[in-house]
Amino acid sequence: MPAKALTQGLSASRAKIKWRLLGHLGAIATTILSMACVAATPRIGSNKSVEPQSHLFNGRIPDVEKIVLENGMRVLVLPRRGAPTVSFVMQYGIGGVHERPGETGVAHLLEHMLFKGSETIGTTDVVAERALFKTIDELHEDVLSANASGSLAEAERLKDQIDRLEDEAREFVVANEFDRILSRAGAQGLNATTTSESTTYFVELPANRAELFFALEADRMANPVFREFYSERDVVMEERRMRVDASPRGTLYERHLSTAYSVHPYGQPVVGLMADLESLGRRDVERYYQNYYGPNNAVLAVVGNVETDQIANWARLYLGSIPERLDPPPVELREPEQTKERRIIIEWDAEPALRIGWHVPEATHNDAAAIAMLSVILTGGRTSRLHRHLVTDEQIAASVFSSTGPGSRFPQLFQIDVTPVHTASIDAVEASIYKEIKRIQDEGPTDEEIARVRNQVEAGRVRRLQSNLGLAFQITDAESLFGDWTTTFKSAELMTTVVSEDVRRAARRYLTSENRTVAVLQRPGVSR
Amino acid sequence: MRNRWNPSTKVPENVLVYLIAAILILPSSSIAQIAQPTITGRAAIDGLSFRQLDFEQPKVERVALDGVEVLHLEDNSLPLVTVHAYFRGGYGLFGRATYAAAMGLPALMRYGGAGHKSATEVDEEIAHHAHQLSFGTGGGSITSTLNTLTHHLPTGLSLWGDMLFDPAFDLVEIEAWRTRQLEGVARRLDDPAVLAYSELNRLLFGDHPIGWEMEPNDLAPDRLTADVFRALHKKMICRDNVVMGVTGDLSQQDLGQVLGPFIERIPHCTTVLPEPQAPEIRRAHGIFLIEKDLDQSVIVMAHPSDVRLSDEPEYFAAMMGNAILGGGGFSSRLLNRVRTQEGYAYSAASLWTTPRNHQGLVGATTRTRPDNVAPAIEAMLETMSTLTRESPTTDELVTTVAQIVNGFVFNFESPSAIVARSMYYLAQDMPEDWLERYWTGVQEVTPESILSVFAEHLHPNEMTILVVGDPDRIGRDRLEVFGPVTTIQVR
Repeated sequence: MPAKALTQGLSASRAKIKWRLLGHLGAIATTILSMACVAATPRIGSNKSVEPQSHLFNGRIPDVEKIVLENGMRVLVLPRRGAPTVSFVMQYGIGGVHERPGETGVAHLLEHMLFKGSETIGTTDVVAERALFKTIDELHEDVLSANASGSLAEAERLKDQIDRLEDEAREFVVANEFDRILSRAGAQGLNATTTSESTTYFVELPANRAELFFALEADRMANPVFREFYSERDVVMEERRMRVDASPRGTLYERHLSTAYSVHPYGQPVVGLMADLESLGRRDVERYYQNYYGPNNAVLAVVGNVETDQIANWARLYLGSIPERLDPPPVELREPEQTKERRIIIEWDAEPALRIGWHVPEATHNDAAAIAMLSVILTGGRTSRLHRHLVTDEQIAASVFSSTGPGSRFPQLFQIDVTPVHTASIDAVEASIYKEIKRIQDEGPTDEEIARVRNQVEAGRVRRLQSNLGLAFQITDAESLFGDWTTTFKSAELMTTVVSEDVRRAARRYLTSENRTVAVLQRPGVSR
Repeated sequence: MRNRWNPSTKVPENVLVYLIAAILILPSSSIAQIAQPTITGRAAIDGLSFRQLDFEQPKVERVALDGVEVLHLEDNSLPLVTVHAYFRGGYGLFGRATYAAAMGLPALMRYGGAGHKSATEVDEEIAHHAHQLSFGTGGGSITSTLNTLTHHLPTGLSLWGDMLFDPAFDLVEIEAWRTRQLEGVARRLDDPAVLAYSELNRLLFGDHPIGWEMEPNDLAPDRLTADVFRALHKKMICRDNVVMGVTGDLSQQDLGQVLGPFIERIPHCTTVLPEPQAPEIRRAHGIFLIEKDLDQSVIVMAHPSDVRLSDEPEYFAAMMGNAILGGGGFSSRLLNRVRTQEGYAYSAASLWTTPRNHQGLVGATTRTRPDNVAPAIEAMLETMSTLTRESPTTDELVTTVAQIVNGFVFNFESPSAIVARSMYYLAQDMPEDWLERYWTGVQEVTPESILSVFAEHLHPNEMTILVVGDPDRIGRDRLEVFGPVTTIQVR
């Protein structure tokens, strides 16, 4: 029986689904449409600057509507024409910087658990599940005690018991039902990501199924159940192995940050330290969720072929009654001023790599635009100074990039990431980088370089509007991190006001030898 | 209300309006229930109903300009234009001696200067006008794209034309590219996944272009002279081989005027491209090991498949079956078993490639800590075997098909992607309406047809299995349970 017929044959009691496909595409409908208007006069070939034709613009900022629900949740809506699809991005202002020492990775592990369903999704008997969770969680406490007392064999025995009980609890689990409900609706790109400062969930749906997002998202915000917890924790450990422990570049990145930040939690890995992951239990993650996963800490962006009023109604209906929770704990630790170069060498049986980071201010600082300009001038494409000198002329590097991070709310690092040619000396690569930085510090960028970057910013202003999902990310991030979704557009505007002296001053102020942390990856026993 | 395709997108008359009204849930009486904010979770979801989604599939126009086929789709929602060029050709057609040069040709067209402009002058012009240019290659094609603001299109086309049709192949840039490639060869061993996939390719395809990996010999200076690049360029970058595409803020009315001078520059071909050779893919059970001291091992396995891309039920059944096996995300069987149930891995996936003119591969991959390698392989083989004996469930098939049918509209989100897809169909002699045929074909798939195609074409006991990892921690004896282990030396 074909799938089309199969779905028609489903009983209402099984899934309550009726397939209402109106035949296949070639024989569906025959409505004839009139041609849309097209521009009568060619604009091509004119030297006159063409203003963007997008309906999105109100001046230079898209017409996003911000709705604040009674519980403090912020909803940003940007209706767009185009294919009838809609992108959803939900961001909680909670991430790695909010984790205490010893519980690194809890935000990321919670992100994984939010895909496990709720009290009614993903289960056939949540009461029976919870009864088993209680025993499992007590066993986890016993594992911690056994490890603390050095009784490793006992710890292993208890872990086996946890595995068996989780298998028992799995009898009540409807595996991956959250995913399957969305998949059946035609969802694309369901996923999530955790950073130092936020946890973000995203998915795209056909526009006629937008309400499904609200029903599911509200449910997992209000009623999540952290089933299959300990096997999912194993999954996260595998993720850490993939991204860090088995990856020379991942290890270099993690160690570089932990060396550059002696106090601030930007130095903690978002994926979590392995020892912390091993000690995290379901109760730790539940506590974290109970404290901070409230609507008052969440921003939702909806971008696509939707109507603002309808989205606002669904937001109020499904999300508006969820109670507020605590505000995220303030990050009070401040990284002390660095007064001396820090340097770390990581030995690995792999080709060399180099990262250099300088402490610079947070993204909303007055110097942020000049630092962004500096980044483009140093490594933004083939005309950039470091690419030209290291990659093309001297041929001592295969690639060179720069960025700021790992977050943006707090003083961050300006980072240069180099893949040296393995036959080159790391010292020579470093020296070349510092030589170019010195030139910028002495002379500043040329007017031509500044003009080039401004042109790219202008073009970027248009290109950034091409993707619904991309736009949703931009405005969610800005609203969640800085309390103002327009920040993302204003930051780009600010870059067009930067002059050469701003860049020179920023380079002199921040890119000093005492303010930098250098991390080198090299083979054991190799001289530099 | 009806949603319509972007009214600013030009839609010709006689276009069909495609209505996609998919799963409708529960009678309308239940809609009132969700007006109560207290209903959440399953009660809310079961109570949802969805209006019909109808949209007009934008029609790509085919225009012949000076004998060259140009596919066009206007979209003036933003002042951007994208122009695509697809040339039949690629590294797979000319033998191992020119493998590196054929691989590097697109890069050198981009980086090596053009016309009377040096490489630096080209770079500066691109940056100044903020053009975005891409050049790439596969075994059977070279592709390039220009994306630019509408008012920079004439200058962009002029420069792009220089790069495509009058490349300078600057010697310094050739050497810089060669240096980067040698670095890539040296670093291939650093990423265990890259190493595993490339070595499995080599094992399966042997001395066929699909199995080739770049080696220092390929990058010998005498194989990368400007003359070698020019000769390859002449064979591939010519009008018999090209399909063009345009999307964005350019009307069909203006197409000829704007694109005409560019089209005129495309040279005539002087030779006919050779026919690609079909590979002979290894089909024999075997366990191979690349020793590497790592905290996480990579497992990859595959064997040849005779299922071809075609408008036949077998093809659609294989694609739906593969989605259920491991190509379909969280709900697929491999991920459910290896990740969700066992906690062995962050990801696990299957693949089923279906070239039109030769055999493809069916296989699977995952990454796990050393002591879980043997149980993970066993779980993967078991999961595959089950689908050769038992049909997938109706629920699995419905989910898989519904995702494609209900998500069909995502194929039309980006005009640029629509045109690129149409260009590919045209260049590969595929039916213009292939996407619609696919949409129809997958709905004809049954659990029984999936069982039939898996029983015939999936043979877990014929897998070539490759592991990259630490044999001491994996346990060589635990690997030998699957057969004699052959160690591969890669350095």
